Amino acid sequence: MEKIIEVSGVSYFYAEDDPWVLDDVTLSVNKGEWLSIIGHNGSGKSTLAKCLNGLIVPQKGSVRVGGFDTKDETNIWEIRRLVGMVFQNPDNQFVGATVRDDVAFGMENHGIPREKMIDRLAQSLRLVKMEKFADSEPHRLSGGQKQRVAIAGIVALQPLIVILDEATSMLDPEGRREIIKTMRTLNKEHGLTVLSITHDLEEAVNSDRILVMNRGKVVREGSPREIFKTPELLEKIGLDLPLAIKLRRLLNQRGISLQDTALTQEDLVNELWTLRSTM
Amino acid sequence: MTHIYNSKTPFERAALDHVSLKISSGSFTSLIGHTGSGKSTLVQHINGLLRPSSGSISVGDFVIEPQKKKQDLKPLRARVGYVFQYPEHQLFEETAIKDVCFGPMNFGVSAAEATKRAEECLTLVGLPSLFWHRSPFDLSGGQMRRVAIAGVLAVHPEVIILDEPTAGLDPHGQKEIMELFHKLNKNSKLTIIMVTHNMGDAALYSDQILVMEAGQLKMSGAPEEIFSREQDLRNMGLDVPETMVFLDKLTDKLGLEKGRPVFTLSETADRVADLLNGGAAHV
Repeated sequence: MEKIIEVSGVSYFYAEDDPWVLDDVTLSVNKGEWLSIIGHNGSGKSTLAKCLNGLIVPQKGSVRVGGFDTKDETNIWEIRRLVGMVFQNPDNQFVGATVRDDVAFGMENHGIPREKMIDRLAQSLRLVKMEKFADSEPHRLSGGQKQRVAIAGIVALQPLIVILDEATSMLDPEGRREIIKTMRTLNKEHGLTVLSITHDLEEAVNSDRILVMNRGKVVREGSPREIFKTPELLEKIGLDLPLAIKLRRLLNQRGISLQDTALTQEDLVNELWTLRSTM
Repeated sequence: MTHIYNSKTPFERAALDHVSLKISSGSFTSLIGHTGSGKSTLVQHINGLLRPSSGSISVGDFVIEPQKKKQDLKPLRARVGYVFQYPEHQLFEETAIKDVCFGPMNFGVSAAEATKRAEECLTLVGLPSLFWHRSPFDLSGGQMRRVAIAGVLAVHPEVIILDEPTAGLDPHGQKEIMELFHKLNKNSKLTIIMVTHNMGDAALYSDQILVMEAGQLKMSGAPEEIFSREQDLRNMGLDVPETMVFLDKLTDKLGLEKGRPVFTLSETADRVADLLNGGAAHV
């Protein structure tokens, strides 16, 4: 598998006297995967994300994006193009007066020729299903639509990876669904790599791989099935569990014996259905 | 009550359209509705941030009406506290405790009394005393939110309005904040009015739920009553709590009738056990 991001031995602190926010973190991101990073607030998730596009450079260790080291300042423009970030607050990431201007802004910044810009602009707005809003003013859009425009701006730069830094946490449920659906299409059909920093466990169980962070360290790494096989550890570090797992446990206590494989609500429904038909 | 935005302009629009409702003292009321349905506009009338275009609002013996000139709103605001969305953005003092004192002192409480109240409220919201004299900006997001909430509580309001109090917090922080308000409602008889997108919270903590759509009050009632009208909610683009979503999937698959709504995990597990053993859901 092609590794597009390699983080090795990264440690970071914000001020001399502060503890390490990232403490010897090593991980890699594979091309085309959907990787979720979970962990409670203050576990270092967002600091890690800022290391990945060179917003901050760690005091120890190295971060390589598509082969470029973030330490080398001459790479920074290329790295920022390769690693697109969608932040939490949809209102904080607009510069253009219209959706079209906003999506074009990033491309202008990167000196993309006009003809190419026109093509890519249309294409990226189509990908996030916002083509009808090209002339709209961003502040008139819903939160979910704003985040989709932010994603279009990133996609237009043809990045290697999109990082969602709790990008759905300020949205209403509908906005949240819009973003996840948009990103799933980009991931599955267009091969875009996604790294999602999230508290939404129903989203995390649907990813290819999960990293669990606690106190600046990666404490677990694996497929959703592997991660949620030992829910006790997640609870110990103060994380919530997906509904299916919490219910499974309560059902076991009520004498309904279930296997420990169901992760999603659909899994559990199917298992219960099978169980009932054999009763 | 009706509220017209941009009155007498081409952009004129009724943000609230003939809304009538009552909120009992000591109750916990949740407002749900799509973004832009008028939830926040409605609650902003309750402490006089907005004035109605027609109709009136009574909070105890305080009445807010359309054309009244220069009404002194301070007595109202001392009774009705408002925790805005992302209230931590409004912290400004040098220390957490000074920030909490600001509210009560603004309402004429002495410095000594304000400090006493601040200590009580910071304890109540669960901020350890070692953080009280630190800059609020050195605290974590969840801690900052607690400081902001303590600042509203220190005014000793009878009613508190919460605009999406858990937005942006991690699940652990969300639960703690909701438990805090639940406790304040039950133990201190604080009347709570909460705007939320979280159907689970609305179902678990409320006595009454109000459903808004396009500036109109579409439904009001106890959580069980509201969420048993699942299809009506879905038609407005609203969800039902996760426990109900799960049970719907299960009853669909098993070909059984939907039962009455349940909101806690333990009730959900009981229902699943019943469905497996007997078949027919409780009515």
